[in-house]
Amino acid sequence: MIVLQGVTKRYDDLLALDDVTLAIGRGEFAFLVGTNGAGKTTLIKLLIREERADRGVILLGGVDVTAVSGAALTRLRRRIGVVFQDTRLLPNATVAENVALPLQVRGGDAASVDAAVRDVLQRVGLADLGERRPRHLSGGELRKAAIARAVVGRPDVLLCDEPTESLSPDKGREIVELLLRFNGDGVTTLVATHDRDIVDHLRRRVIHMHAGRISSDAPVGVFDAP
Amino acid sequence: MRSKAATLANLHTARYVITAAANALWRNRTMNVGAIITTAIMLITLAAFLAINDTLDQMVVGLGRKSNLIAYVRDEARPSAITELVRDLQRRPGVAEVRYVTKEEALAQFRSQFVEQADLLDLLQSNPLPPSVELRMNDPAALPALAGELRGRGDLFDDVVVPLDVVERLTSISNVSRAVGTAMVIALTGVTLFVIVNTIRIAVYARRQEIEIMKLVGATDWFVRGPFVLEGAAIGAIGALLAAITLVIIYAQAAPTVARIIAFLPISTDLEFVRYLAVFTVLVGLVVGALGSYFSVRRYLSV
Repeated sequence: MIVLQGVTKRYDDLLALDDVTLAIGRGEFAFLVGTNGAGKTTLIKLLIREERADRGVILLGGVDVTAVSGAALTRLRRRIGVVFQDTRLLPNATVAENVALPLQVRGGDAASVDAAVRDVLQRVGLADLGERRPRHLSGGELRKAAIARAVVGRPDVLLCDEPTESLSPDKGREIVELLLRFNGDGVTTLVATHDRDIVDHLRRRVIHMHAGRISSDAPVGVFDAP
Repeated sequence: MRSKAATLANLHTARYVITAAANALWRNRTMNVGAIITTAIMLITLAAFLAINDTLDQMVVGLGRKSNLIAYVRDEARPSAITELVRDLQRRPGVAEVRYVTKEEALAQFRSQFVEQADLLDLLQSNPLPPSVELRMNDPAALPALAGELRGRGDLFDDVVVPLDVVERLTSISNVSRAVGTAMVIALTGVTLFVIVNTIRIAVYARRQEIEIMKLVGATDWFVRGPFVLEGAAIGAIGALLAAITLVIIYAQAAPTVARIIAFLPISTDLEFVRYLAVFTVLVGLVVGALGSYFSVRRYLSV
């Protein structure tokens, strides 16, 4: 589902990604781990084309992310759900309005959008908080709202950037369990994280990054690189 | 089937765009009220200047109309030739009015203007005053050329009198006034547009993350832009409406008073002019608000 071949990204003097090659299969769940500045966030930004790769090929569901633009890029983004590190929920909109956004951009009618939003809020445990503004939510609730927005459009791929950061271990586990549940529906899931406990506990595929390169890739890995 | 689904999706999107614009107007009300007030102040300033400029222009035109050309008709001139010339002059550009003054009318005018010397005329056997053709001008700039042409008609006229110094001065004042007025209107329009567009740009900048997010979840450019353009148009139109209402109230209250105090100023006390100005102001606000938003959002759409 996700293929990177020889991908390089540079910010002025900083080499953020250096000749990265990687493949993640359909429906797979993988952790992307590494120290700050290892290139995890850059990789996610390249996958959603928030940034452009300087070199290399990125395929997502067979579509060359580096080559698409305009309507094709819009269609591609509708196939991807993203949980941003800072959640990026719209501060002036309610939780329900934030979650509804990916469906509204597709021109969904009000009734079906409302039904889908209610359903996903129920699934993430925010059924009663739909009318709240993000500033009235706790850290864990904010992440759940961000996950709800990411999955409401039934994406093929779910990309999460530090979804458990600053959360207590309990809350962190709750968030990852949610992600696993959506992964169980067939959504290819890539989670960039610093959370040792969760990575070590789940024993899933772990891709280690260091200084912009993939340093190891274990099908059943732990947080510390081998 | 597919096109019906697309049409429905477009309708839902249009509904979303309108609702989102209305919501954003309310939710960002502090910033929007600031933008509306800024727009109103700038448009009031621009409209007030347009009104002042129009008054000055009217004044110069009014003074120009007072400039007369008097051509004294020869005794032996054929009346039919004079009549034909009067008709021709009436059709000339810049000419407001052409009047043939008979000998009798000239005498009556003299008597009314020089009452104390009126008995001097009684000493004369006949009326010594010649008939004349008098011209009032819309545009004093056309007067010198016209005077030259009439002087060339020695078969019809003895003399052609033109207050050239006044004409030249009025022409010069008129030209300077128009040039300065036009330059000021252009400059002030530029400043007004700059301030309004920048106010909208700041409001859009504050919500740039919203634009980025919408793009990243798969919104088309128009889906993102639509609410902003509607919101900008609404801000511009509301600001302009406030400006127009203020303008109409001030004009209705102040114009008659100013016209009474400064009687020589050609201030129109009817509201027709200011109504046009109000409609113009609202249209400017609407268009500038919409275009300002359109271009302000564009720079953040490249995500």
